[in-house]
Amino acid sequence: MNGVEADDLVRRIDGFSRQAREAVEKARSSDDVEALRIRAFGRKDGYLTACLRELPLVRPEERRRVGELANRVKRELEELIERRLTELRGQERQAGRERLDLTLPGRRPALGTVHPLTQVNDEIVRIFMGLGFSVADGPEVESDYNNFEALNIPRDHPARDMQDTFYLSAETLLRTHTSPVQIRTMKETRPPVRIICPGRVYRRDADITHSPMFHQVEGLAVDRGISMGDLKGTLEVFAREMFGERSKIRFRPSFFPFTEPSAEVDVLCFLCAGVGCRVCKSGWLEILGSGMVHPQVLRNVGYDPEAVTGWAFGMGVERIAMLKYGVDDIRLFFENDLGFLTQFV
Amino acid sequence: MKLTWRWITEFLRTDLTPQTAADRLTNGGVEVGSVAPLAPDLAHVVIGEIEAIERDLGGPPGHPRLLVRVSTGRQRFQVVCGAPNCVPGVRAAFAPPGARLPGARTVAVAKIHGVESQGMLCSERELGLGEEHASGILVVGKDAPLGGDLVAYLGLDDWVLEIEITPNRPDCLSVVGVARELAALGGGKFQYPAIAVTEGGDEARGLARVRVEDVELCPRYAARVITGVAVARSPAWLAARLRAVGLRPISNVVDVTNYVLWELGHPLHAFDYDTVAEHTIVVRRARRGEPLTTLDGQDRALDEGILVIADPRRAIAIAGVMGGRDTEVTERTTRVLLEGAYFQPASIRRTSRGLGLATDAAYRFERGADIEALRDALDRAAQLIADVAGGAIARGVVDAYPAPRRRPAVRLRMSRLRRIVGASPPVEEVTRILEGLCLPVLRAGEDLEVEVPSFRRDIAIEDDLVEEVIRVWGYDRIPATLPAGILSPVRSPAALRQADTARQALRAAGLHEVITYSFEDPAAQAALGLSGDGAGSVPLLNPLSQEMSVLKADLVSGLLRALATNARRQQPTVRLFEIGKHFRRAGEGVVERRWLALALTGARADLGLYASRDPVDVYDAKGLAEHVLARLGAGATSVDAGIPDHPYFEPGRWARLVVGGEEVAVFGEVARGVQEAFGVPSPVVSAAIALDVVARLAGAPARFVPLPRHPSVQRDIALVLPLDRPAAQVEQAIREAGGPLLRTVTLFDLYTGQGVEVGARSVAWRLSFRAEDRTLTDAEVNDAYHHIVETVRRRFGVEVRAT
Repeated sequence: MNGVEADDLVRRIDGFSRQAREAVEKARSSDDVEALRIRAFGRKDGYLTACLRELPLVRPEERRRVGELANRVKRELEELIERRLTELRGQERQAGRERLDLTLPGRRPALGTVHPLTQVNDEIVRIFMGLGFSVADGPEVESDYNNFEALNIPRDHPARDMQDTFYLSAETLLRTHTSPVQIRTMKETRPPVRIICPGRVYRRDADITHSPMFHQVEGLAVDRGISMGDLKGTLEVFAREMFGERSKIRFRPSFFPFTEPSAEVDVLCFLCAGVGCRVCKSGWLEILGSGMVHPQVLRNVGYDPEAVTGWAFGMGVERIAMLKYGVDDIRLFFENDLGFLTQFV
Repeated sequence: MKLTWRWITEFLRTDLTPQTAADRLTNGGVEVGSVAPLAPDLAHVVIGEIEAIERDLGGPPGHPRLLVRVSTGRQRFQVVCGAPNCVPGVRAAFAPPGARLPGARTVAVAKIHGVESQGMLCSERELGLGEEHASGILVVGKDAPLGGDLVAYLGLDDWVLEIEITPNRPDCLSVVGVARELAALGGGKFQYPAIAVTEGGDEARGLARVRVEDVELCPRYAARVITGVAVARSPAWLAARLRAVGLRPISNVVDVTNYVLWELGHPLHAFDYDTVAEHTIVVRRARRGEPLTTLDGQDRALDEGILVIADPRRAIAIAGVMGGRDTEVTERTTRVLLEGAYFQPASIRRTSRGLGLATDAAYRFERGADIEALRDALDRAAQLIADVAGGAIARGVVDAYPAPRRRPAVRLRMSRLRRIVGASPPVEEVTRILEGLCLPVLRAGEDLEVEVPSFRRDIAIEDDLVEEVIRVWGYDRIPATLPAGILSPVRSPAALRQADTARQALRAAGLHEVITYSFEDPAAQAALGLSGDGAGSVPLLNPLSQEMSVLKADLVSGLLRALATNARRQQPTVRLFEIGKHFRRAGEGVVERRWLALALTGARADLGLYASRDPVDVYDAKGLAEHVLARLGAGATSVDAGIPDHPYFEPGRWARLVVGGEEVAVFGEVARGVQEAFGVPSPVVSAAIALDVVARLAGAPARFVPLPRHPSVQRDIALVLPLDRPAAQVEQAIREAGGPLLRTVTLFDLYTGQGVEVGARSVAWRLSFRAEDRTLTDAEVNDAYHHIVETVRRRFGVEVRAT
């Protein structure tokens, strides 16, 4: 067998390598590069494959040098081919696809809305549930007894003017507050009682801040040793949760027939931080009524006012929603214009 | 109630300003709604004297126009004036150039009929002080200081406090009451008015008699007689003061009774003594149908529930509410019988509400007047009448007061105070506070005894005193604590949780929650086919309006109204739901049931790039109902197509969803006529879910089923069915025929048109077969499939179209 001149082989490898590199760089398509790969490395006819096959014929003392050269050229060419293929395939994929306009609208699922009053109601309920209050509900058509008499508001008492009432008959009415739920609950259970009563209530009144139907959340706590200080502390926690950490409340003496002592509760205006603005005027916003449960009310449900004490509070959901969202006409809540409903997502 | 600051300070020595006093009252529980200057619109109006009439400028007959000379002491002005009472020598309201009048009007020198007029002489109306204009300029007394400020002279440099008194504090419904309250709240020193009467002539007892026949409704009736009065307009100071608090001056005698009402809080009534038969007052219940013409000119027919003041012949007043016309004080009156009485509050309230007569007197009597103070009110009024209308006060008072009030005492334990409040001032301070409130402490110490004066009829129990003490001590000093106690689980009613689940499900499905009134128009109920007498409609006895006069019998009415509202506001595609109650009469009572109702109109989605523009149809309503029911654990429904007519769905285009024979929902197309009656422009589909029923039926909680270990095999089956053959019926047959290997059946295609005969449709299902314990062979699946095909072919006589 004839020996192979090492230099000749080196020259051929170099020469091919140069040509191949140039061809790969200039290739227009991945297919061209693939063809080149086969020309170089094809098992049968690959040029470099053939060159490597000649290596055993080189003189032993030169074989190492030529072998190293051949392997380096092979490795470099393979890398180049891979890089170029990735590049070309990427371009080809782009070219094969439609052009995207990513500024077009996304395909969003249609999402509805929960009524703002429901949202505010749920928020209030959530806060009090976190403070250990259970939720109670009851009918909207009530007896005069549960709505008034049991709450220390006898017939022919001027306190009835505070809650102008819709009657269905002499004895049945639309509840004017959710307090009848308190009466029902206390009649059924023994202290300790800790409940909140959300729900629709009705008063015969209609203007931009009064609606003949509105929503209340009332709370009641009855136990041994419950004091007005506890009422204040609980409502402070509520105000901070509802209106923010910096919120403050103020108690003012007031009158409700079913509480004694009674208090109106104002919250520091969160619109002007108490400076006084168009909405609050005085720096304070009246948000709820409260007080210690009147001993007569406790007796009416069979509790002993010397053994237990309790407090109650009530707030209008509309009032709080109007303040929170800056709504200036209560009727908007009941018109159900989508333009309004979709603002409170 | 309006009060003026000057009036209050007649009874209160104080350093407070009207504004700080208002804050003090509000923080003490007597809410002051506003504090405003009494005459904010007047400036530099002075008292001028008409010195001479210089010249008559002519003018229409009966309306002479004069050029007069007006002096303010330091300066003289020539002024054109046409007032009938413009005569030399009188002093009157004069606005020189630069003065400001109501309506932001500044007086300037003007040319009138070619003559320069330097300012104007003003009527009450021009000054914004009253209605008087025709009678001429506002004339003041000869003693009025020339050139002095009119506002100051009339006492109009004052502040008006608008006070909102809670029903428990009638004692604060007066100037004296508010002054007393301010003093108790640390605002100054209270001085009860010194009331003195100069009597003379005859004994009142000889001039008038009083007979109280119903002592329960009238525990006390007192009267005075004043003779020789001259009824006329009130003096300026009296009229001005009444106007300042919003009362209309009438005549000196009547104005005095109103003045005293405002000042002392006790309603009084003045009768023309000479019109009272036999000069005898009888207090009794009215007879059924007894006539009386009241002061407002109304002829009224009374009944036995009403207490009247009568003379021996007839009723002459509705006790505590309004006087009668026949016995009212007129300009002819010379002798006055003045009534000061106390009436039972509940009786006055019933009468006042029954007759729809809300008067200042009734307002106070129904809250509770001061039975002890009525003598003071009588004396004060009698003296004032004598002062402003002349006349002599007959000696003594005719006073029917058979059972004088006993002075009750209420106990206050310091221990109770601490227990209720969580803190308390020391006992010495408690005593001081009580005394400051004019509540005498009979026994001091840890266990106090407190006397309740007649003007504080709201104080009846220990806790009332607790409030009195801490409201003066300061609610802001109550410490804020959190309740201690045993923890118990927090519960929430299943109904509310269920509502919340349904709400979230529909929100996720793109619907908007609405809240509508529980009231509706009977006409709307009729349009929905839900009304009719005795059809369960629940009317209100005292509705706000006809449109809100019955309770909602079905939630759909509120939704239809909301759809119409949105349509009117250019929002044609609307998807709404509401969770609420319907109210229906059942026997004697009313049942309220919880429902969820939804209604859709317009397109299936809002306009958008990918949105379907197809109109909503009945399957949208059905699918949403099924979606909610599935979330509520009542997913296994079957359809009971509506054979009878539904009140508001289109015939043949509605159905019930049924679980175990019970209706859980209805859905359908709202009848075209109903939709149009509510003003909705495009078709509406709707569904309603009976939440109460669903709650009862809701299934067992979820249990885990092992995941399949062997693959399933799918086959499709398409059948050509007559249009009147319900798909669900065929699907049921397929399920039954498929046996245990058939796991799911999914209807995925409906086709009518070419290749399918008229009157029929092709319905296609995908069947999925699977066994738990092995991989099914083709042969097994084919056997099952052919059995299904054979069964439906035999049963329904239909052919398989393609597989």
